[in-house]
Amino acid sequence: MTKYLYIIKTQIIKSLTYEFNVYGNIIMQTIIMITSAYFWKALYKNQSAVSGVDEESMLTYIIISSALSVLMFTNVERRIEQSVEKGSVATDMMKPVSLFGVYFAEDIGSIIALIFQNMLPILLIGTLMIKIPAMADIRDLPLFILSVILSFLINWLIAALFGMLAFTAVNIDALIQVKKHLLRLLSGSIIPIWFFPDAVANVLKALPFVYIYQLPLSIYIGKGDRAEQIAQMQIQFLWLVVLFAIFFAVQHRVTRKVMVQGG
Amino acid sequence: MIEVKNLCKDYKVKHKEPGLKGAVKGLFKPGFETVHAVNDLSFRIGEGEIVGFIGPNGAGKSTTIKMMSGILTPTKGSVLINGEDITKHRKAVVRNIGVVFGQRTQLNWDLRLGESFELLKHIYQIKQDEYDKTLDELDAILGIKELMGKPVRQMSLGQRVKGDLVASMLHSPKVLFLDEPTIGLDVSSKYALRKFIREINELRKTTVILTTHDLGDIQELCERIIIINHGVMMEDGNLSQIVDRIAPYKTLVVEFYDEEAPKHEKCEMTEHEGNIAKYKFMKKDTTAAEIIADLSTVKTIKDVSIEEAGIDDIIRVAYGS
Repeated sequence: MTKYLYIIKTQIIKSLTYEFNVYGNIIMQTIIMITSAYFWKALYKNQSAVSGVDEESMLTYIIISSALSVLMFTNVERRIEQSVEKGSVATDMMKPVSLFGVYFAEDIGSIIALIFQNMLPILLIGTLMIKIPAMADIRDLPLFILSVILSFLINWLIAALFGMLAFTAVNIDALIQVKKHLLRLLSGSIIPIWFFPDAVANVLKALPFVYIYQLPLSIYIGKGDRAEQIAQMQIQFLWLVVLFAIFFAVQHRVTRKVMVQGG
Repeated sequence: MIEVKNLCKDYKVKHKEPGLKGAVKGLFKPGFETVHAVNDLSFRIGEGEIVGFIGPNGAGKSTTIKMMSGILTPTKGSVLINGEDITKHRKAVVRNIGVVFGQRTQLNWDLRLGESFELLKHIYQIKQDEYDKTLDELDAILGIKELMGKPVRQMSLGQRVKGDLVASMLHSPKVLFLDEPTIGLDVSSKYALRKFIREINELRKTTVILTTHDLGDIQELCERIIIINHGVMMEDGNLSQIVDRIAPYKTLVVEFYDEEAPKHEKCEMTEHEGNIAKYKFMKKDTTAAEIIADLSTVKTIKDVSIEEAGIDDIIRVAYGS
């Protein structure tokens, strides 16, 4: 365990050396945040609430969504891709550590650095330019945090599974971009899926993506009652279990394959 | 220490026909070809040996090293390190081995060298006092401490290889695998590397297995060599014995005062140019002293030198077959 804690620490050191990399993301998130704010303001002009969500809550939703996107940072796909391309997967495997344990620890380290480099500035900009993104009911905080942790794990597993494509496809740069933006769309992070036609919304509810962004955000703005939230979190947990099972099976096969084909 | 038994590795390679037609055909009906990269290798290596693996490019040296260090799973056969099968107990066995690939690094580009070492210290769970001791010891050989604060990406190749060597020895492995460690290094870095290998072998009884194309490495380091070609073992044994067997001759170069060179019945004159003549003789037939003595009765000799058959000749003979 201490090994992985140290990997996290090293990753934080590494992330902090690239200060300039992070400004791009702050600017991008600010643009997304501000444009959606105007978009929702315009949309709510003649309406006080849509699906039980008023304008104020919606603005909170998008600020927290931008902040949350920092926690959904994953480098595991690119890390796998590069280690396959450069063959460093071989030297990684030479060490008495689990390959994916290392990737996970590295992502945690990066995110800890990003919380300071990215998330806090985004929250500050959102607060100054849009509104204070206060939580609807502070008593929901434990539930919100738990749900964010599950979200994070689901998101990471999807990324890791995706990255494993690199073992067969080698170059997945373009696919990583497609996945990233598709995921933001399907997860309700920019437009919550209650705005989608029922049929589409129902399909999306069955997929794991909405449980990455929309569920914790709904809890944050106090949408729906407690029973509904708990029910959704059960689905969220179920997805986590399913994805972990798939991940575990695939990971086993993929590492075996690398060891047969050569790094 | 290390026991390799009937080691085989087959690769399936997509067989593509040339040209556009072939490319299109390959999309629909890919043909596979099996390549035997390593074929039935068996040998034992004892503790504290330095063994050189030589062979032309694509002979299967790296594949063998990769299988021996547990990165590749053999198609057939087994590798036992200290009696443990590497494919079955990978995590336990890798603690006992260190690997340096000359063409890639295990150091982290974004970290300073010292930070990379610290990370390895935690990964291998090396105790602080042991870590300090090892580092001091390695520093005495390579002078690595002055590089500790330098980011790896700013290092020269020579410095990086030094860093890699230290990194591979931090956890005091019993076996060190070096895959073309001297590739691209300048003379002084090569010298430092060879010195390092010799010293850790003496001090720590580390078993060293290296592949190289640099014959100097072999001559200076290895008592034992294994020659492979096309994945098959050609030779395995003591370097000087192999030289004696494959090239059981020496060449005597004699310089006379004029252009006339006498013949000698026990050897063959291979070259004769100007005042200089070369006599090739079998070691079992005669000695250089005898030839010189005989020749000097016929003509006055100005100067002599002896050319030994070296590893180059071995390689030429072995590769040529």
